[in-house]
Amino acid sequence: MVEFDKCVRCGSCLKICPIFEVIGEEQYSPRGKLYLLQIMDMIENDKELGKEFRRLLFQCTLCGRCSETCSSDVDLLKVWHEQRGKAIHEAPEEFAYLDALRDALSEVKNIYGLDPEDRAVFWMDELEDEFPNLEEHVYSEGKTAEVMVFLGCLMSFRGSQIDVVRGLISSLEKEGVDYLLMGAEEFCCGHPLYLTGDDAGAKQLRDHNRDVIHKAKAKTVVTCCPGCLIQLSKYHELGDVEALHHTQFFDRLLKTTPKTKRSEEFAYHDPCELHRILGIKKEPRSLLNKMKVNFREMDLACCGGGGLLRMTDPNLSDKVIQLRKAKERIQDTTVVTACPSCREQLLSAGSKTVDIIELLAEALEDEQ
Amino acid sequence: MRIRDVVIGANASMYYRLNFSKIRGVFYPRSEQEVLQIVLKANEQGLDITPKGGGSGLSGACTGGDRERFMISTLQMREILTISKDQRYVDVQPGATPNEINDLLEPLKMKFYVAPSSRDIATVGGLISTDGGGNDTWVNGTMRDNTIRVKMILYNGAQLVVDWDGVRSNDKSLEEKLNRAGMTIHDVASSHGTLGIITELRVRIKPLVEEELIGGVAEFDDYDSLGQAIQSLIDAKFPVRYGEAIVQAHEDVRGDLRLPLLVLEYPRDDALQEKLTAIADFRHLSKEEVEYLKDTRIKLPKRNPKEGIQVALFEGYGLHGKSLTEMSHSITEVNELLMEDGFRPFAKYGHAPSKWYLGDNSEAFGLVMHSREIRPEGRSGKEIFKTVARIVDKCLELGITPKPEHKWPFSDDVKKKRIMKLRDIIGGGFNSFILDDNAGEVLGSMV
Repeated sequence: MVEFDKCVRCGSCLKICPIFEVIGEEQYSPRGKLYLLQIMDMIENDKELGKEFRRLLFQCTLCGRCSETCSSDVDLLKVWHEQRGKAIHEAPEEFAYLDALRDALSEVKNIYGLDPEDRAVFWMDELEDEFPNLEEHVYSEGKTAEVMVFLGCLMSFRGSQIDVVRGLISSLEKEGVDYLLMGAEEFCCGHPLYLTGDDAGAKQLRDHNRDVIHKAKAKTVVTCCPGCLIQLSKYHELGDVEALHHTQFFDRLLKTTPKTKRSEEFAYHDPCELHRILGIKKEPRSLLNKMKVNFREMDLACCGGGGLLRMTDPNLSDKVIQLRKAKERIQDTTVVTACPSCREQLLSAGSKTVDIIELLAEALEDEQ
Repeated sequence: MRIRDVVIGANASMYYRLNFSKIRGVFYPRSEQEVLQIVLKANEQGLDITPKGGGSGLSGACTGGDRERFMISTLQMREILTISKDQRYVDVQPGATPNEINDLLEPLKMKFYVAPSSRDIATVGGLISTDGGGNDTWVNGTMRDNTIRVKMILYNGAQLVVDWDGVRSNDKSLEEKLNRAGMTIHDVASSHGTLGIITELRVRIKPLVEEELIGGVAEFDDYDSLGQAIQSLIDAKFPVRYGEAIVQAHEDVRGDLRLPLLVLEYPRDDALQEKLTAIADFRHLSKEEVEYLKDTRIKLPKRNPKEGIQVALFEGYGLHGKSLTEMSHSITEVNELLMEDGFRPFAKYGHAPSKWYLGDNSEAFGLVMHSREIRPEGRSGKEIFKTVARIVDKCLELGITPKPEHKWPFSDDVKKKRIMKLRDIIGGGFNSFILDDNAGEVLGSMV
């Protein structure tokens, strides 16, 4: 049976869909899209409808809440993945706006189209005074370490992420971890291509990363990015090398942590890719509790930053986070999260935001 | 044709392959004023109007059949307008769901007691149009029992307020005619959007009852014993707070259940316990066991066998009186008919004891049994619909109410005549296909 045929169109996925919540029309809902697939034989000759449908496939954050809610066990994420790949294959001209992304990943192996050498330049410039031996921790042929840090494109290139990189390096240093950063040898994890259904393109990037990680003889790869972690843990075929989210790594490493000195009101935004797709729910909360961070849980809803939506429909992505912000009443709250993409979304909406690793680094610093 | 005009056909019934070219416009109004403008535009163009709620029902009413039409979705009319804790009502737009209403009522320790299993998506406008309810209709009644009044817009733009005493309208002549005809909430209930579009409802709310409940399950040797136990609970007016029968289930979804069975929740009370023990051999269940059985039940309509696809040919069988106490005969007859037509029974389950209304507005009590079948390969929609029509006849022969919660006027002569009488006064214009002689043929074309 074709996966989408299992859908009984009950509608339970409508009201939990962040896109439907914003627009309120059925075609944006998971049920609406699956319905179109179920009746595709009736509309496939209409070119305009086909075009509209292909566009709808990319107006989705791939948050996975529909998959989680579905009582008919439809693997909606699998459906969206396959259909996105099919859409681009059928009508590449409609996705010309993704060419720059594909070209950048093909030529310079990062989503920004910047010189690969720059991967280790921005944060090195910013942090080398604080961490004088940082360059020694940047991978080059022949260097080995227990832990390989995979920063990912956002954290490597975005100035807005520097506090997270600082928090990560500071925590690794304070705990005496034997680590390397992949630096200029890090290629994009392939997640953006995976989100467009381009498995072959993603594989080429993964092959290189796997090679570097193995050469460094790392036993663990740590990343702060849930999207990168999906790729590292599920698709990189790293063998005995374990891929961990930074919250998992530090929660295992630290039985106890110093108490945070911060006393403001916190709310935890759980990244969809982390808790829903990777199933990592316990460790972020465990770390927050160890630090005695007083936080409330936010709804397990999407920030609007996933599924390449920022690229495919930035206005829609903005609407999702703005609605979320209004609903959750977070204007006077610091939102804790554990994903660079969610962090970007929250910052863009003017929310005060910290990554868990920043809180940990501060707590460790304060203890000293 | 635009994609929003096509996607409006998405609904949980087997009637989902619409002739999209007949849809002349799809609208998502937010207010009564916007609804009015759309209705007047349809009237001007001579188009029919089909209101749609959450699309979780199985009747296919929200498809609009084959008329040239406007479709009006109420999904963006979901405001809770006022809450009166003292007078125990909530004014609400028609697109709100029971869950959305109850989320707001919870801090007030009040509740809107209509709880269909689709309460996360079914709208109150849709629920009154089908007179739906959940497994607690035995205690709390159907949607009509929980509706105080509705506001509607008719095809000519006239506004109606319908309550249990009659009708008020800005069109005084129309008001007089409708009151002479005795129109009340009974008529709006189960009218499947054929009278007008609902723009607001006043629904009843009650204090949140906090009572200690215990759970129990009885497994029966045969269907007659199950039916007789349900009848005894009805006769004893037993205060069942939750009652579900799982009658049959395919091995792919049955797990370790021994069927048929009846799961109940009821107040902890020694006298009640004694009464229950006299009715059947009920075994106590832990809270976890009750939750497990509730979850199993609620997922039955949404699960599929390992091979093939389940289909709901029919919303429900209202087994009452003899058709309940001699349930083995009822089940055998229905299953034989299904198998003759190539369907394999997948699951039968439902609320018991339960309450529903017959076409003449009298109350009936019994088991509202849902049924899902594995669809045979290669059958045309028309052939499948023929089976539905045969089941309707079979139900009438056996004394079963066909689709008690979602009665089709075409299979209920009393209701159909009543709707047609009111439409003669009102002027029609809404979801007219349901009343057409060829409604069955139209539905068959959409399977």
